[in-house]
Amino acid sequence: MNLLGISDLDAGYGDLQILEDVDMTVDEGEYVAIVGPNGAGKSTVMRTVFGIATYMDGTVIFAGEDISALAPERVIHKGLGYVPQDDNVFSSLSVRENLEMGAYILDEVPESALREVFDRFPILEERDDQRAGTLSGGQQQMLAMGRALMLDPDLLLLDEPSAGLAPDLVDEMFEKIDEINESGTAILMVEQNAKEALRRCDRGYVLVQGQNRYEGPGKELLDDEQIRQDFLGG
Amino acid sequence: MATEKPLEAVLVVVGVLIAGDLVTALLITGSLQFADVGGLVKNGLMRGLVIGLAGVGLSMTYSILNFANFSHGDYITLGAFTGWGVTYLLAGLGEADWTNLILVGAGGGVFGAQLGISITGTTLAVILGLVVAAVATAAAALAVDRAIYKSMRDAGGIPLLITSVGVAFALRYVIALVFGESVRGTTSPDIPSFALPAIDGTVGINAHDLVVLVTGVALMLGVHLLLQRTKLGKAMRAMADNEDLARITGIPTERVVTWTWVLGGGLTGVAGYLLVLWRETLHFRIGWVLLLLVFAAVILGGIGSIYGAIFGGVIIGLTLSLSQIWIPTDFARASAFVIMIVILLVRPQGLFAGRATA
Repeated sequence: MNLLGISDLDAGYGDLQILEDVDMTVDEGEYVAIVGPNGAGKSTVMRTVFGIATYMDGTVIFAGEDISALAPERVIHKGLGYVPQDDNVFSSLSVRENLEMGAYILDEVPESALREVFDRFPILEERDDQRAGTLSGGQQQMLAMGRALMLDPDLLLLDEPSAGLAPDLVDEMFEKIDEINESGTAILMVEQNAKEALRRCDRGYVLVQGQNRYEGPGKELLDDEQIRQDFLGG
Repeated sequence: MATEKPLEAVLVVVGVLIAGDLVTALLITGSLQFADVGGLVKNGLMRGLVIGLAGVGLSMTYSILNFANFSHGDYITLGAFTGWGVTYLLAGLGEADWTNLILVGAGGGVFGAQLGISITGTTLAVILGLVVAAVATAAAALAVDRAIYKSMRDAGGIPLLITSVGVAFALRYVIALVFGESVRGTTSPDIPSFALPAIDGTVGINAHDLVVLVTGVALMLGVHLLLQRTKLGKAMRAMADNEDLARITGIPTERVVTWTWVLGGGLTGVAGYLLVLWRETLHFRIGWVLLLLVFAAVILGGIGSIYGAIFGGVIIGLTLSLSQIWIPTDFARASAFVIMIVILLVRPQGLFAGRATA
């Protein structure tokens, strides 16, 4: 059974429809990438799963439960974590407070989860008193991931985790994501850096103008002449 | 240097001139007494604390709901009338008709001076009045939100602002209808006081000044601890920062909004009660008259910042008072806005913008 099953999904913002009949699945522990040109609706898929975009039609099933029209503050209870692309930290809160917010739905902040996040991203422990808004872009990205990992989600949605990072940090970020996936968390990732994403993921989707265009194992998509020419810049 | 920052240079010159004039008047010509200046500072601080307390409430709803609430001034008035109604009732029970008492002597039935109201004479009446002011204003703020603002929250800040102007008028004249339009004195003529020595004289400080000081500072400290230490406070700051992210994180935003109105309304009601305790008179426009000063305080402190609201309130209060050394009292309010404009020219985002918001 799929962990996440999206079928015939129509969604957008207000009256504006962006996604049309999108189908997507993520299995337990799987690493799935969504690539495609700008404006294809990649981020909208994630925003719809988390209830921020306007759901119109179709279904989103997570762990056997229909979460299609669930309010954003309820989705996290189901075992999904989400790192949006922009504004993904609380900038006036400290690093530690950001992580505490990640575990808001629990009565107490789980020390073990905090420990794990600090072990994964040591820079966060060094700066735990610093206001998040004063961190560098890469550190903010790590903090956002750390926040999303506080509840040890079954599926982590990552929206362009490498966007705006310095080139040497991009590799580090992708390695961190590999590590997170290897520890058992399924990943659904939107990436502008399509080649890198397809090389690392188990499976990929190419989304064009709000519709599924191609689907398959990452390496196959990467080797497909047509896809290379149309979407990956040769 | 002066050419690089002409504005700052002018401000420094003006500041030096004012300070120089103050020193000359105090020390050389003796045309100004230390005791008088001390009295003005005390008054400015009292008014500043009240403005700051009301400003914290205004700033909270602004930062969490992106809503500049113009009915806030009349929440101040509502707190004053409900609280003082209870104080009158408890202080004068058995001496006068209870309906006259709870309406704070509407129609001239009873007078505060006759009831001998003061923190020392009728301690319980004053304390319970303060509590009722907080509770009633919080309840009213929440009720207005549920009935009017909640349904239009998604429409954006401007429609909310315009609606709040309407709510302000409605609330003000409902208060006038129920409690009457007359200006009334509220407290006993003899409130225990002591004289603080001030070089060439004394500054009189009475028991009610101390109540304003202690209550104001304690509540501000309480708000600080709430925001920094409690889960609710952190959630409020998180939501002020980024509402979408707060929802994704599982913060129940509607519950946070409820608490924002309760806390903001409560503080504002207390501010209204304290304002009357300090100025010793009450009428149905006190909050409306104060509102622009509260906005000035909140804006110069950096709108959305709790600490900015507190500091802004004190700065505005002191400016109102101390400007009377140089200009006629009638223009004192203008000086408060001049200070606001000057601070915004130098620091357009306000003093505390982006720091520890809530």
